[in-house]
Amino acid sequence: MLETYREIYFHPRTQFITIDTSGNVLESDDILFKLKKGDDISSVSLFFKGLSAYFDVDEENDIKFTCIHLENNDRQEYTCDIEFKTFAGAQPTLIIIHDFSEHYKYYQEVAQSRNESVINSQILELKNKYLKEKEDFKNTFIANFSHELRNPLTGVTAFCSVLQKTDMTPEQQDYVEVIKSSADHLRNMIGDILEVSKIEVGKLSLHEELFDFHELIDMLEFTYSVKAKQKNIEFEIDFDEKIPRYIESDKTRIKQILENLIENALKFTSSGKITVLIKENQRRARKVNLSISVQDTGIGIPDEKLVLIFNSFTQLNNSRKFVGTGLGLSIVKGLVELMDGKITVESKVKEGSTFKININLRYPINQEATSLETKSDIERKNYLSKEKYNILLAEDSELAQMAVLKILAQEGNFFLDIITNGEDVIESVIHNEYDMILMDIRMPGTHGDELTKMIRSLPVQNCKTIPILALTANLYDADKKRYKKMGMNDIIEKPFDESTLLKKIYKHLK
Amino acid sequence: MKKASKKIILLGHFGVGKSSLIRQFVENTFTSDYKVTIGVHILKKEVEISPDETISLIIWDLEGYDDIKKTRASYLLGTHGFIYVFDVTRPATFENLENDITYLTNQYANTPLKVVGNKVDLVTKTYLKENKDMFGVAPDFFTSAKTGDKVDDMFIALAKELVK
Repeated sequence: MLETYREIYFHPRTQFITIDTSGNVLESDDILFKLKKGDDISSVSLFFKGLSAYFDVDEENDIKFTCIHLENNDRQEYTCDIEFKTFAGAQPTLIIIHDFSEHYKYYQEVAQSRNESVINSQILELKNKYLKEKEDFKNTFIANFSHELRNPLTGVTAFCSVLQKTDMTPEQQDYVEVIKSSADHLRNMIGDILEVSKIEVGKLSLHEELFDFHELIDMLEFTYSVKAKQKNIEFEIDFDEKIPRYIESDKTRIKQILENLIENALKFTSSGKITVLIKENQRRARKVNLSISVQDTGIGIPDEKLVLIFNSFTQLNNSRKFVGTGLGLSIVKGLVELMDGKITVESKVKEGSTFKININLRYPINQEATSLETKSDIERKNYLSKEKYNILLAEDSELAQMAVLKILAQEGNFFLDIITNGEDVIESVIHNEYDMILMDIRMPGTHGDELTKMIRSLPVQNCKTIPILALTANLYDADKKRYKKMGMNDIIEKPFDESTLLKKIYKHLK
Repeated sequence: MKKASKKIILLGHFGVGKSSLIRQFVENTFTSDYKVTIGVHILKKEVEISPDETISLIIWDLEGYDDIKKTRASYLLGTHGFIYVFDVTRPATFENLENDITYLTNQYANTPLKVVGNKVDLVTKTYLKENKDMFGVAPDFFTSAKTGDKVDDMFIALAKELVK
């Protein structure tokens, strides 16, 4: 029976051929390729042309080739492994051709799928990289552009404060108020753009500090109750008093998150109520988990647009009725995620929206022993030891020079030296005894941070301890770290107003 | 008229267009459908390199590997010339170009070699100019199997070197 099965099912797929030293066929069993004695072996395939150098060797060789594509006279294709054996002693060369077409057909399918998948993923990776480069370029451009806008705004903001203290008619006062409020609005928008670009390039980091969370909420309730009243809508904060009073987190960012959400609700609500609910869920390992929701009765968001709501520059209602950059919610999402929190939104058109945040905040276990008692910086001026202080202002922008000069002149506590070129700063520091240096960063000659490093290394009394404050709009974390490393004590952010400048100065004067 | 047969091999990663370059050179055809080469396909084309000299190029189209050292040594036996192909759009195919070329020139010091950046139809000339340093080795030719740009020139230049 076995023999019968063999006859039915066994199809030999291996051909044996012998050739002479010229590559002509001596014998062939013709299992795959029909050959006559004397045929050139290269007529089976061009493959054998490449082996002609081995046809007449008189030594033992066993060369194996895998997966060679051959074609017979009927143009039938085979995928074969080939053994090429030469012998010593004038024995003819033996060629053994194994037909593994079925096996290689399967291998081909596997390789096709594997290679396609690898190539597609490489192409996808490249596309992502390209998109990321484009995005980074955009964000860097925005960051630089925003920075350039901040400098002229410093002049506008600072001089508005100065102008308001001069003798003006009520009409002129109103005009100044309009300029000031427009400049503030512009500054906030530039700030938003800068924040988004920082978040998107991962250059925004959190600065934890201990603060009174209850006081922050009280302040927000007061501010927004007034604003809501002006729009004739109700405003309520339902605050869980069990929440720890003192929290260790980035106060500025938490305030920003809440403010942006409430501002957003106010913007899109013309009647009804805005409710802020802040509830404690649980406490674990010095962390309190909070649910915060801001619910409004505003215009609402269509379902299909909910996914877009947190995108940058997306303001769903394009009817110019609602002004703004459309960055507020994008910033909120970026900040919440930076704090390892989660934000979601539920909404119904014409009924309103609810933004929900779940976030963990650190808190000191012993709340009773925690205190934030410190003198406010501006109060420090009542405790100063000298009547007049010498301040050096190293700044090339005439606008900024004038602004600082006017603000300090009104205080009456300062003598001010102004230097416009980085190279002259060192000489002036050596020959004068200053109580403080206000140092612009981007100055002609040497940059402010480099100058600080030089000043700190001068062998002159007080050079190591004199407060040096940076005046700058370069506010990436890397910049801030560099200023500190170079020996700067603090940063005054451009554009600055009167109170910011004075607070920082009084904070560092002895 | 002189007539010689020379075996040349195309090497490089998978999907860089080795088979397409050969088809364009031998048959003047191109398809954008990718079909993986497994093992070896062998094709032939006669090239007239001077009025009295023709060369028969036996072109071995090898399965692509991401590591040149994985190429079976038996395939390379009796090779007269190499063409190393990479895809100018896929960094993975030229990340090791410098090492691969060094390996080939060390192992086969006297065998002519052409380095070819293929698929230039997918990029601009400015891209090639600005990114030429990232290839690691200056390619002898930038080709497009799709448009046929520089394909014949590349094979003929190698053929001429084979009979020097």
